Amino acid sequence: MAAFWNYLSSNFDTLAEHAWGHFYVVALGLTLSSIIGISLGMLSYRNPTARAASLNTSAIILTIPSLALFAIMLTLPPPIGGLGARPVIAGLALYGLLPIVRNTIVGLNEVDQAIVESALGMGMGRRERLFRIEAPLAWPVIVTGIRVSGLLMVAIATIGSIVNGPGFGQMLLSALARIGSATATPQALVGTLGVIVFGICLDGLFRLLVHYTTPRGIRG
Amino acid sequence: MADSMIKLEELTKVYEGTEEPAVADLSMDVPEGEIVVLVGPSGCGKTTTMKMINRVIEPTSGRIFLEGEDVTSTNPDLLRRRIGYVIQQIGLFPHMSIRDNVATVPRLLDWDEHKIDDRVDELLELVGMDPGRFRGRYPRELSGGQRQRIGVIRALAADPPVMLMDEPFGAIDPITRERLQNEFLRLQADIKKTIVFVTHDIDEAIKMGDRIAILQDQSIIAQFDTPEEILTNPASQFVSDFVGSGAALKRMNLTRVGEVTLKDWPTARSDEKRDTLRNRLDDAEQDQLLLLDDDGRPRRWLHAQDLRTDDELTSVGEEVHGVISANSTIADALDQMLRSHYGTAVVVDDDDRYTGAVDMAVVLAAAEAMGQSAGADAQHRLADADVETTDEEQVSG
Repeated sequence: MAAFWNYLSSNFDTLAEHAWGHFYVVALGLTLSSIIGISLGMLSYRNPTARAASLNTSAIILTIPSLALFAIMLTLPPPIGGLGARPVIAGLALYGLLPIVRNTIVGLNEVDQAIVESALGMGMGRRERLFRIEAPLAWPVIVTGIRVSGLLMVAIATIGSIVNGPGFGQMLLSALARIGSATATPQALVGTLGVIVFGICLDGLFRLLVHYTTPRGIRG
Repeated sequence: MADSMIKLEELTKVYEGTEEPAVADLSMDVPEGEIVVLVGPSGCGKTTTMKMINRVIEPTSGRIFLEGEDVTSTNPDLLRRRIGYVIQQIGLFPHMSIRDNVATVPRLLDWDEHKIDDRVDELLELVGMDPGRFRGRYPRELSGGQRQRIGVIRALAADPPVMLMDEPFGAIDPITRERLQNEFLRLQADIKKTIVFVTHDIDEAIKMGDRIAILQDQSIIAQFDTPEEILTNPASQFVSDFVGSGAALKRMNLTRVGEVTLKDWPTARSDEKRDTLRNRLDDAEQDQLLLLDDDGRPRRWLHAQDLRTDDELTSVGEEVHGVISANSTIADALDQMLRSHYGTAVVVDDDDRYTGAVDMAVVLAAAEAMGQSAGADAQHRLADADVETTDEEQVSG
């Protein structure tokens, strides 16, 4: 245990740097994934064929082992491919699609049809109905999808370090490479704990976000 | 008949994947300023018919005219903004305040925000809801009756000439429904909108409608007439079956309390002397005095023995339960009479002040008057028929 505290205090700067790196790839990956995922959901939720296509595609992406996906990324040309943060961000954005697309579709379809019909009957156009009525009502469900994606990304971002992506994964990889040495175990432990604490913080942040971005009239 | 506000021409709807039309060749004129009720058994196509007017359901063929203009293929959103729409589930937007809900159509029409504020407050006051209290609330903070009122004023917000109402009082408890119906009729007397109203309840149709269209399968009109005509002269077996037994009793729904001569009930005020009150009760034919409060609202029934005690008048006798208004029907009054101990229904005005009472004598007089006018109508028609026959004879002769 002493070794753990020793390691933590003497490597605090590196730890902070890895935390920032982890945050950076997850934040950008999640932003991209949300933009793409919500758009896909909004474009496809009304049409059964389009709905199945977007859900299946994002589901298949999630079945690709992350190790393999990052290896594929390595072979792609820049700006997506290569080494560093970019391929990790792109990979995370793809992995995060399923929960976001699915929750967007479910959320929009679950809006009470009487509400949608009254909006239609009052002369709201397609776009107004989507953005002023359906999307705000589906919002809590959509944000929950984003939250699940975020947690998924916190874990997967660790693997991203094999293409030299930033984050706690760097610590784990270097610990694995030096297994048997005195600092390997504390380093792996600190890296793992970092991921967990990061995940917990993100989860808490999202719970607050869900609460404060949900319109007052439908807040639970 | 006044000018027709809505004109439907051979309107037909065939749903995809079905052979039989849901609505077949329906033609109908809805006169300006009237409530036309579409009533019929479930599945007869009445809701489909109504929803084709604002093209929430697009007709397969036929034409729709609004204020003389063919709107069958104009922009549906612009059309719908000219037509108020109230559905059974009301469909208030739960994430929007009452103000924003009511402001929906004015916003779509790009009204100035100040004008919208004024309009929202005006409408809330129109249905007796204090704007200061309710403007900022959310739908879930309201009772069912209040939500229904908001649904109606939201449809009225941009002052559309026409309203479509699909079982608007369907999902509400009977007592509140009764109040809302009366309230709405009072409102309609002022605003005089052209209203198409759908219900499956013949009693509601009789109460609400200036005209009733009784629909059979595929929205085929079995009879389109005033409630009086439908009750006294059903056009077919289908209509009389649908209206059901007790047409005479149902006619009680046609006369409103405000149209009959009310009985004057002896009243009392709490500051009057016991002797005065006792004398008044002795002189009256009734066995009770009606105690009013300082604002003239009925409070308690006082009997002779109540006046012999020294207790405060407000604590003796029996409380007055349930009152009716000038807009209530004779049927409502009868219902109230049967429920009260004294066979009497107390009538109050908009401010809940006592204006009179309905007892059995009043109801019987009203029934007699109804019978006479129905009889007169029938005689009139016989006379008309005679004239027609004579004409024919002359032609053939």
